[in-house]
Amino acid sequence: MEQLFNIDFKRMNFSNDKEVADRKKNFELFLKGGLPNKKNENWKFSDLNSIISKNFKSITNNDEYEFEEKIELIHDFDHNKVILVNGSLRSYDLHFEEKGKVKIETLKSLEGFHHQSKNNLDYLNKALSIGGFNLEVQQNYKCKKPIMIYNYFTANLNNKIINNSNKIKVSQNSELTLIEYNIGKKSKFIKNTFEQINIYKGAVFKNIILQKAKCNGYFYKNISCRQDYNSSYQNFILSSGLKFNKIEIDIILEKEKSSCHILSGLNLSKEEHQEIKTQINHMAPNCKSYQKIKNVLEGDSKGVYQGKIFVKDIAQKTDAYQLSKALILNDQAEFNAKPELEIYADDVKCSHGSSSGSIDDEAIHYLMTRGIELRAAKKLLIKGFLNEIFDNIPEQKIRTFLEKSIEVQIDEIR
Amino acid sequence: MKSEELKNQEYKYGFTTEIENFKAPKGLSEKTIRFISEVKKEPKWMLDWRLKAFNRLKVLKEPNWQKPKYPKINYQDLYYYSAPKSMKEKPKSLDEVDPKLIETYNKLGIPLNEQKRLSGVAVDAVFDSVSVATTFKGELDKKGIIFCPISEAIQKHPDLVKKYLGSVIPLSDHYFATLNSAVFTDGSFVYIPPNTRCPMELSTYFRINASETGQFERTLIIADKGSYVSYLEGCTAPMRDENQLHAANVELVALDDAEIKYSTVQNWYPGDKDGIGGIYNFVTKRGACRGRNSKISWTQVETGSAITWKYPSCILQGDNSVGEFYSIAITNNHQKADTGTKMIHLGKNTKSKIISKGISAGQADNTYRGLVDIGAKAKNSRNYTQCDSLLMGNKCGAHTVPYIRNKNSSSTIEHEATTSKINEDQLFYCNQRGLNQEEAVSLIVNGFCKEVLQQLPMEFAVEAQKLVSISLEGSVG
Repeated sequence: MEQLFNIDFKRMNFSNDKEVADRKKNFELFLKGGLPNKKNENWKFSDLNSIISKNFKSITNNDEYEFEEKIELIHDFDHNKVILVNGSLRSYDLHFEEKGKVKIETLKSLEGFHHQSKNNLDYLNKALSIGGFNLEVQQNYKCKKPIMIYNYFTANLNNKIINNSNKIKVSQNSELTLIEYNIGKKSKFIKNTFEQINIYKGAVFKNIILQKAKCNGYFYKNISCRQDYNSSYQNFILSSGLKFNKIEIDIILEKEKSSCHILSGLNLSKEEHQEIKTQINHMAPNCKSYQKIKNVLEGDSKGVYQGKIFVKDIAQKTDAYQLSKALILNDQAEFNAKPELEIYADDVKCSHGSSSGSIDDEAIHYLMTRGIELRAAKKLLIKGFLNEIFDNIPEQKIRTFLEKSIEVQIDEIR
Repeated sequence: MKSEELKNQEYKYGFTTEIENFKAPKGLSEKTIRFISEVKKEPKWMLDWRLKAFNRLKVLKEPNWQKPKYPKINYQDLYYYSAPKSMKEKPKSLDEVDPKLIETYNKLGIPLNEQKRLSGVAVDAVFDSVSVATTFKGELDKKGIIFCPISEAIQKHPDLVKKYLGSVIPLSDHYFATLNSAVFTDGSFVYIPPNTRCPMELSTYFRINASETGQFERTLIIADKGSYVSYLEGCTAPMRDENQLHAANVELVALDDAEIKYSTVQNWYPGDKDGIGGIYNFVTKRGACRGRNSKISWTQVETGSAITWKYPSCILQGDNSVGEFYSIAITNNHQKADTGTKMIHLGKNTKSKIISKGISAGQADNTYRGLVDIGAKAKNSRNYTQCDSLLMGNKCGAHTVPYIRNKNSSSTIEHEATTSKINEDQLFYCNQRGLNQEEAVSLIVNGFCKEVLQQLPMEFAVEAQKLVSISLEGSVG
């Protein structure tokens, strides 16, 4: 592990000596445990240690970089813009919103940052984090337009690792739609992100994670989210195109009537490996949770879904549902699932379903008898399979934009 | 109140048989293993096999990933061999068997006495570490079917035992399986010759009687080409306030076109209502569908034991082979169950079906844990899994932990799971028609389990239905 990581702490800017000591301590802790491997139950299907060792000979932290390129903006719908370059906040434009209602700044300190699910990458992140953003929406303010985060990665990131941490606070009765738009170049790098989300009473938070075009990135993202009374959290994951991606979401439904939805549609091709792991903790009565994970697997890709629903004994009237479906298009592709239920309350409705298989031959036959050629028929069915997850997005323009970006991916399927 | 009375109803099979025992020295050591081997008059190869397992055991660690945790077992404080003294010289016929033993089995409702021919089931009764009697031998012999204690098979049919013993559960498999390989005492051996349909149900009844004793039985069933056998297994133990260990290994081998149906009604002593005592049922059961078109079907009704921890599995090696698993696991009071199955698809066109019903009441914990693995070469394979859990009260838990792996594009896996409580409308409907709460619950639960119960052979189905009702008594009201 020590050979793989060539980290130079001198390159980083520190505020004081204590911070340096803390970071070094965390780094030592990380080196002791190393990268998670398949012996760890949470990483059973995605052995990060072997994936990274296979693809990287030496890893360094990020240098100072020059950034003068112009970012291609999206014009499909009106949105506020936040630009992150290599994980740190560069600039933002929130002109659609009232002044002072939405605040964004560079995250300065990791104090008060609690990760609900711990692993060794947490130490690594604490040791090397370069900050990230701190976003806050004020009470009773409903954002007029979505905020789009252009998460840009420069071309000179070969063999680098980016560690950042973000904090999102959605205050009482406020509303926010946040779109994370990842744009990567050809370079091969690692990103390790920890995110903490607090959704207060009556607030609504929608989060869309989208990947623009293919990228040689190896991403890990850990989201810890707490939800208050009657709050709502919706997460749409459309991160196809990365070499490796694992998104770990841990949600605590702390108070009654809160609800969370996690929906994902992934289309993985050659040499891609993605895992979504969700843990929904129902700690109060009358909460709802819903997960729908859809994978289309081509080439020698590997899709993984690990989902757990935990229902505490007092969390009566819980309504929890989990569904994972996979379309396997190639014999080299693989789909693994572990949909777990741990239930201690009796008056609940909890169920999960999981299926994997190939495209229904009869459906193809039906389309072909109507004059649609094989390839088009396949695409049509795949599109239908993935588009189902957009049902929860009411904004027509965003929906069209997402559908369009999925279509581009499907077109690449042979 | 009626449910209060029922709550205090005790375990029906909890009596002890006062019988003089002949035991191995306490503790797990090479000496104990040599002792067991000597008492059984085993050939040298068998002793070597046991010692090999014992050496392997020294480097293995007890698994700790399971949901039910238990206090550390002191393996040096157990007896590994215990037999009624009267069994030291094996009786030649039933007339010579100690009448006390016969009485015990009569109390349990197991017809050892051949003349009675109560149910037409051939029984092999295992009392602590030895097989007491095997019934209907003559009739089976005529067809060339071998059904005998495994210790007898080691002496009389060494070629078959050598060939198949440890071929499904290898010596070095995991801690409890290896422990069993080193110290197993008795169990049943079944061989069905080619193209033979076993004319009756074969059955083994296990009973742990002596205290501080572990029971380590080993069962080996081989169904040769084109044969069929249905095998039943039942178990009970006396009530004691200590925890007793039961670590059995069961191996099934099905060759071309053969079918094995294995049914278990497990009713070991579950401990009292405060969770004191009871059996630790740590069992390894595995079947290999070696031949083409072979089939192995597991059916289990798990109502007893303080901790049940077992995963009857199928390795589907032959093309077109079929694996089935039907399970009911009922836990009440402080019982814990972590059970499920593994379906490993290796051959083409293999099929598997899993139906699991878990019911928890009291402060019990019930976990379904399973694996469906379809390999890259297992083209056109199919799996269907359904696991439903029923919860009674908010002090118990129901958990589902399925592992699903699909590695080829022509195979389909479907998995469904639900957790719910007894529907109040259904209860109300039953109450309205004059059934009391207990009867109504029993009726609904039996309905919930019907898909599994109907897989059991007739002789067992009635017993199992009663067991389902009894196990839940006192859990509502």
